[in-house]
Amino acid sequence: MTAYLIRRLFQMVIVVFVVSLFMFFLFNIAPGGPLTGLQQQQRRITPEEKARIRAQYELDLYWPVRYTRWLVGQPQGPLVIGGQEWFANVPMGCYLEATPEEGGGCADYVYLSEMPELHPPIKSSRGILFGDFGNSTVVQAGRPVWDLLASRLMATVELQVISLVLALVIAIPLGIYSAVNQYSKFDYTFTTAAFVGSSMPTFFFGLLFILLFTVLAGRAQEVWPWWPTLPPGLREAVRPYDVASWLRVQPGTPLDRFLHLLMPVAVLTIFSVAAWSRFLRSSMLEVLRQDYVRTARAKGLVERLVINKHALRNALIPFITILVLQIPIFFAGAIVTETVFAWPGMGRLYFDALNRSDYNIALAFIYVTTILTVVATLLGDILYSVVDPRIRY
Amino acid sequence: MKTKKFLVLALLTILALVVSACAAPAAAPGAAPAAGGEAASSGAEEFTTPHPILSDVKVRQALAYCIDREALIASVYPYVEDGAELLMDSFLPKTHWAYVGPYTDLPMYDPDAGKALLDEAGWTQADGAPVRTNAAGDSLVLKFTTTSAQFRQTWSAVMIQNLADCGVQIIPTYAPASWWFGDTTGLARRDFELGAFAWVGQTEPAGRSLYACDQIPLPSNNWEGQNYMGWCNETASKAIVQATNTLLREDRVAAYDTVQQEFAKDVVSIPVFQRAEAEAWSSNLTGILPDATEYATTNLAEWALADGGDTIVIGMTQEPDSLWATISSMAASALVRMAIDNERTWTQYDYDFQVRLQTELSTLESGLAANNDVEANAGDTVYNTAGEPVALEEGVLVFDKDNNEVTFDGATAVPMKQLVVTYKMNPFTWSDGTPGTIADFELARTIDCDPDSGATTFTTCESIQDVAWSADALEYTVTYLPGVQTPTYFLAPFAPYPSQRVISDGRVLVDVPAAEWATLPEVTEMPLSWGPYMVKEWNKGQSIVLEANPYYEGDVTTPNVIFVFVADTNQAVAQLLNGDVDYLDDSTLGAGAEVQTVIDAANSTGNVQYEISGSATWEHIDINLFTK
Repeated sequence: MTAYLIRRLFQMVIVVFVVSLFMFFLFNIAPGGPLTGLQQQQRRITPEEKARIRAQYELDLYWPVRYTRWLVGQPQGPLVIGGQEWFANVPMGCYLEATPEEGGGCADYVYLSEMPELHPPIKSSRGILFGDFGNSTVVQAGRPVWDLLASRLMATVELQVISLVLALVIAIPLGIYSAVNQYSKFDYTFTTAAFVGSSMPTFFFGLLFILLFTVLAGRAQEVWPWWPTLPPGLREAVRPYDVASWLRVQPGTPLDRFLHLLMPVAVLTIFSVAAWSRFLRSSMLEVLRQDYVRTARAKGLVERLVINKHALRNALIPFITILVLQIPIFFAGAIVTETVFAWPGMGRLYFDALNRSDYNIALAFIYVTTILTVVATLLGDILYSVVDPRIRY
Repeated sequence: MKTKKFLVLALLTILALVVSACAAPAAAPGAAPAAGGEAASSGAEEFTTPHPILSDVKVRQALAYCIDREALIASVYPYVEDGAELLMDSFLPKTHWAYVGPYTDLPMYDPDAGKALLDEAGWTQADGAPVRTNAAGDSLVLKFTTTSAQFRQTWSAVMIQNLADCGVQIIPTYAPASWWFGDTTGLARRDFELGAFAWVGQTEPAGRSLYACDQIPLPSNNWEGQNYMGWCNETASKAIVQATNTLLREDRVAAYDTVQQEFAKDVVSIPVFQRAEAEAWSSNLTGILPDATEYATTNLAEWALADGGDTIVIGMTQEPDSLWATISSMAASALVRMAIDNERTWTQYDYDFQVRLQTELSTLESGLAANNDVEANAGDTVYNTAGEPVALEEGVLVFDKDNNEVTFDGATAVPMKQLVVTYKMNPFTWSDGTPGTIADFELARTIDCDPDSGATTFTTCESIQDVAWSADALEYTVTYLPGVQTPTYFLAPFAPYPSQRVISDGRVLVDVPAAEWATLPEVTEMPLSWGPYMVKEWNKGQSIVLEANPYYEGDVTTPNVIFVFVADTNQAVAQLLNGDVDYLDDSTLGAGAEVQTVIDAANSTGNVQYEISGSATWEHIDINLFTK
């Protein structure tokens, strides 16, 4: 087991490294970037001005150099050994490109010796490996990425944990009941509903809920003032509001938070319940057909014990994979749901960062999500061996 | 074993990527680039060969005749009652002071005239043939490029049908905005035949970078300029240079008129329509002043809630990136900044300028500005005709004092105009209770003109020769470089920064280098204010809370204002209809299908009000006169 763990850890490091490298490379070659739209401002922009703006985002540096600066914060300048500078004249990038008349290529290289002046440490990261995610370039220009992530993390965790618990509480009994009562009316109804639930995109349910419980409920409230409406989005209100004629809610109170959670949690829960309960149903059905379940029944065990003790435990084993892969989502959030409900979470931040080419935020997000995913996968494998003694590594 | 293979594969891939990315050769500092590269020696430069179809003005006119712009407007703005109000026959909206049209040379919808012109141009349509052909048998097929925005796909579908009816086949490309507006792709590289996008009109129209002959992006000028069409009409080019380099408005109107006439005749860009903009607010809210050129929150101090509420909530789909104007051009940021008033000393309502912190606009008529005659000698820094600060040396082109273009001969002094403008400010107090001083303006110049500040442009800074700061009054006098004749000279170039502010590490703001400013929360998140409101709190991802600035000289009607970030327009409208927010500006509400929801709600419940107007932004189709 120890050898297995060491091997896995080694593999994980490589996976994270390769993912980060490829993501960095892909962002580098993708069209757009922080300078998108610069030409759309109706004013003169000289090549020199453009070069200066590119340099503000370190786009004047070759991407492998930017990568190592992002990863480990180096190079920051020439290597100094014994008071002597080494590699000072090695070009790290191109500040200004030459015109074809000038022969093309680069008119003004950025040399290692110029790095401290052109890209001072105050504006660059100490390296993501050392916990410095750098500064945001667009979304919150100049502010640390970590501050932004931290400001959104709790909102996402809150949303995800509540919907996860709810989804588990609902999906597991549903899946079991449906499997045990296969081909019953309940099973047909449940299977159809689950199929619809997992087929519909979350934004559909999101908009539908807003329409039903806010917009149309608001219309109804004009006729019947006692009719309640739900706040359509945000994490909490910013001023007192009336849910109905009989209920005024103060901003920031537990009731206010609860009301704001209702719709986004419902959407995420519906989606998870639909998917998981179907999964659990088929897993359970497979187990129920096993010989040892038949044996348990044959020896006269009550059905409740057969289901709960013998069948369920084994049916849940493949479910572990699904559950552990929820761990990265606690960090990553739900992009669509958070956007539809204006939930100030990580998913919305990532969506915003991608839309506006804030690569430092996007990369930090992907980096942390990758680490959590490989850790979750390892955890899943370990849990497999714990719950199923037949599995040995 | 598998791990080893994987490791080797990964390392090889990394090595390949690194090698491919580091294609640039290493060279010693100061090494001159090799002269006469391949690109320079191999035939004609890109975009110097006239386009075989579009270089013919008859074809361009025919295209304009064939497009039913009112139908295009109806396709995207079904709720606009009179679409004709959004029609344009120039690059300026009809309400702009520099518009003196109509410019009837710009063809409006008349498909028969369009077809006749195409026949005349040699593009004929055989009976039953869907597409016109010329004598050589080439089909009249054009590529049309724009962004993938649904709005543009909708109106362009109508346009494509219009042109098909005239026998012109269009092959559309709906590219991601990141490619189309990228700094080295799409439009910036003139990678189109017909290309649609929008310009945002300004109070002072500018336009030199769009229509002057020396602003055509080419490989040889490193793609500098925004004249993507490649339009070089000497009359128009001279007029646009005059228009952007003349102080008297009546002279500018005449010059802009010339440009607009030529623009209409040459049909190098087809103005499709002025974009509609909608803003909406709760019927409980009063004091809104919708305007095409000024941000709605500029008069936020006058907004009131009819029910006596003390908190106005404004919904925004975007969260500001920073509250420091030097590094932020976002509308969301400007909406907050205009409320805390730390950006401009003036306003721009109705395509014109008004004072705010300035006591008056420093015009020549006010006596605060003088346009002196000076002798420019060799070695002096002056503005050349291209609008660049240069050392006066032999061969440099400048405008003399009579606005004639002259070439400096290297010896004879050139009489030039030099602007000297005094900007006087009203007394003000910072939201920490400190009275504003002239040092605050001095600090603004130091920081805004520092290349490390992160500013995208230094045009104003580079146009200044000297600034004299008054020792005993809140005023400063700017002496511009000889040759600088900026039409907006009467607007103070620097708004104050709180030089007295102590930041978290104990330093005073005046001592902090410009390079650090963009990273300071005291500058970007919680700046001091001299306006009606100040920032109380910024909850990231959720809201910015403003409260009335107790030291503001004027009146503030509603003490609290909260900007909430709602991410999505549907969500924003739901919040408005639910009474959770009181106001949605045009950058949040836009002009899409959500506007209809607001209109329906306004008609059925009366709880919301809205305003739809022609914005300063206008859609157009640029025609590339040259081919790669």
